[in-house]
Amino acid sequence: MKIIVAKKILKANDQLAEENRARFNQANVLVVNLLGSPGCGKTTLLEALLAKLDGRAAPAVIEGDLASSIDAERIEKLGVPVVQINTDGACHLDATMVAAACAEIDLDKIDLLIIENVGNLVCTAGFDLGEHLRIVILSVSEGDDKVPKYPTIFHKSDALVVTKTDLLPYSNFSVDRVITDMNRLAPKARILQISALTGEGVETLADWLANQCRRDGG
Amino acid sequence: MHELSIVDAMIKQVEREVRESGHDGHVVHLDIVIGRLSGVNVDSVRFAFDLLSPDTLLEQSDLRITESKAVCLCEACESRTEIDDFVAACPACGSEKITFEGGQDLFLDSIELVD
Repeated sequence: MKIIVAKKILKANDQLAEENRARFNQANVLVVNLLGSPGCGKTTLLEALLAKLDGRAAPAVIEGDLASSIDAERIEKLGVPVVQINTDGACHLDATMVAAACAEIDLDKIDLLIIENVGNLVCTAGFDLGEHLRIVILSVSEGDDKVPKYPTIFHKSDALVVTKTDLLPYSNFSVDRVITDMNRLAPKARILQISALTGEGVETLADWLANQCRRDGG
Repeated sequence: MHELSIVDAMIKQVEREVRESGHDGHVVHLDIVIGRLSGVNVDSVRFAFDLLSPDTLLEQSDLRITESKAVCLCEACESRTEIDDFVAACPACGSEKITFEGGQDLFLDSIELVD
């Protein structure tokens, strides 16, 4: 006896992600899934970005890590509502974890939710969390060959942020190479260059997200 | 190793589908489709399946995996070429003005139960 199923394997996750998205839409909250490898500067970029929003958006943050609350403590210092998820070894966040974290956030009081995923360029790509935008980070210190080496995550992203650009004069990192590779894998994606350390480029990202919040009616 | 959580979700989904079909037989064959560009590794899926299927309806089931192809579209020579992986240039003319289509599948095709 044969059962024809023809359904997505991550259907349970996808369904919950759609429910999350419906909740976010109803509350007019723009949700960003921030991806990148460990040490690429996700939290540092987030700190710089939150400081530059200047009241143009009311943000909250969900931090995803295998263990510890180090990142959440950093965000808390900025006076931004934050929830830490510990995945206890899992290499990515999923829609269930985000739904649970959202129970701790008053969605009616915010219009921008940034979810910092677990540091990982592979596993995080396959799990929809209910976000509106996927932003992937690639730091100068990781090397300019990462886009074709980890194609899935770049292919599925709406924007690429090249971080730690203050290191460019000391490295052979080719921004042109990254732009060429990214244009091929995700032709519609925005590409930004930022140094969270000097602040260069942070304003552009802050403007973009603040405008998106307004467009979404947030 | 996100394949572990993918296979875990798949096993739960199969058990639910079997239950909802009103049958309670053991699963003999399971057909799934994994796209070549989905970022899901077939060997890791098999490894995770061997690890997670014991003591479920899928213990000892024959897991059959079809790998769906992707297409590379070239703006320069307007060709459509089937590819197994992301490529840096058009396999036909070498142009870098290319985009990709398909190969993102990850789905449960059919379940065959013991009669």
